[in-house]
Amino acid sequence: MGRFFLTFLLVQAVLFGAELTPWAQRWFVTPWTDTLAAISAGIVKVFDPQVIAAGKVLQSGSNGFAVSIEAGCNGVEATIVLIAAMLAFPAPWKRKLVGLAIGIVAVQGLNIIRVISLFYLGQWNFDAFEFAHLYVWQALIMLDVLVVWLLWVRTLPRAAPLPAPA
Amino acid sequence: MIVAGPMRGTPVGRFVLRVAAWLPAAFVVWYLAGPVLAWPIALLTSAVARFAFSDVVQAVEQHGHVLTIVSTLKTTIANTTSAGVISVDVDILLYSFGLPMLAALILAARQPHAARRLILAYFVLAPFVTWGLVAEFLKHLVFDTPLGIAAQAGFSPLQREVIAFAYQFGSLILPSVAPAVFWVLTHRRFLESFAGDRT
Repeated sequence: MGRFFLTFLLVQAVLFGAELTPWAQRWFVTPWTDTLAAISAGIVKVFDPQVIAAGKVLQSGSNGFAVSIEAGCNGVEATIVLIAAMLAFPAPWKRKLVGLAIGIVAVQGLNIIRVISLFYLGQWNFDAFEFAHLYVWQALIMLDVLVVWLLWVRTLPRAAPLPAPA
Repeated sequence: MIVAGPMRGTPVGRFVLRVAAWLPAAFVVWYLAGPVLAWPIALLTSAVARFAFSDVVQAVEQHGHVLTIVSTLKTTIANTTSAGVISVDVDILLYSFGLPMLAALILAARQPHAARRLILAYFVLAPFVTWGLVAEFLKHLVFDTPLGIAAQAGFSPLQREVIAFAYQFGSLILPSVAPAVFWVLTHRRFLESFAGDRT
C-alpha cells in the first residue's frame, strides 16, 4: 500500500506540475477547455438554441448570463488524479489503458454535466450557483474519480488485490 | 491478500447510493457548523502563519468561516500620510469541502468505529486546509498586490514559484484528493471486499 501511495503521489505531482507549465497550458489545457465549452454548448443547443460558446465561455443569448470554465472546472485535475491512481495500482498495462480510456470519458462526461448544470443554476439563483460551484460539484467530481477507480479495481483479476502494506 | 469480511458481496452501486443519501445531510451539517469546525483550523493556521511566516504575518482573526490574515506589509496612499497594512480574507469552506464528502464515504461504508474515523478524519485533514489557507494568503501578497508593496516581503523568484505551486496544489488538488486518500487508507478491508465482489 505504501508503494502504491508513493507512486500515486509522485505521478500526480509530476502531472500536475507539467499541467501548470506554459507549454501544457497553451497546447493542451486551453484547447481542451475550449473544446469542453463547445461540447457543452452543442448539447445545450439541442433544447436551448440561443446558447453560444466563445473560447472557454458558455453564454446565454437570451439573458447574457455566462460561465467561464476556469482551472479546476475543466476536469483536468480530476483526470490527473485518475491517471495517477490507475498508473500506480499494480495491474496489467492493457487493463490500465482500457481503464484510463473509459475512466477519462466517465470523468469528463460528468464534468460536462457539471458545466451545464452550473450554467442553468446560475441563471436561476446565484447563491445556489456559488454553493454548487465552490463546494458540491468539487466533491462530486472527486467521488466520480473514486467510484470509477473502485469499479476498475473490481474488474481486475483476483490475483491483483490491493497492494500489501509496505 | 483478499479479506473475506462481513462486507463481502457489497455491490459498488449500493455503496454509491448510500454515499448519495448521506451527502446532502453531510453538506448541511458541515455548512451550518462551519464556524465551529473552523475554530481549530483557525488556531492551527494562526500558529503556522505566525511561526513559519512571522516576518510577514502580524495577526490572524477568525470571523465565522472566514480568516482575516493581517500582514506586516505597509501600504501608503500617494501624496498623503495615510498608511495601513495589507490584510487578506481567506475562506475555510473553500478548502474543507472534502470533509462532508469524506463523512458521507465513512458513513456509507458502515464500518466499525465510524465516529472515531470521523474525528480522526477532521484532525488529519486540518493541516491540508491550513496549507490552502496559508498558500492563498501568500499568493495574494506576492501576486495580487502592487509590486512595490509585494517587494516588502522579500521573496526570491524561486520562492515565488514555490508559492504559486503551493497555492495551485493546495486549491486544486489537496481539498478533494486528501479526503479520498484518507478514506482509501482507512477502509482497506472494505475496499478488498469490493475487489472480491463480482455480483
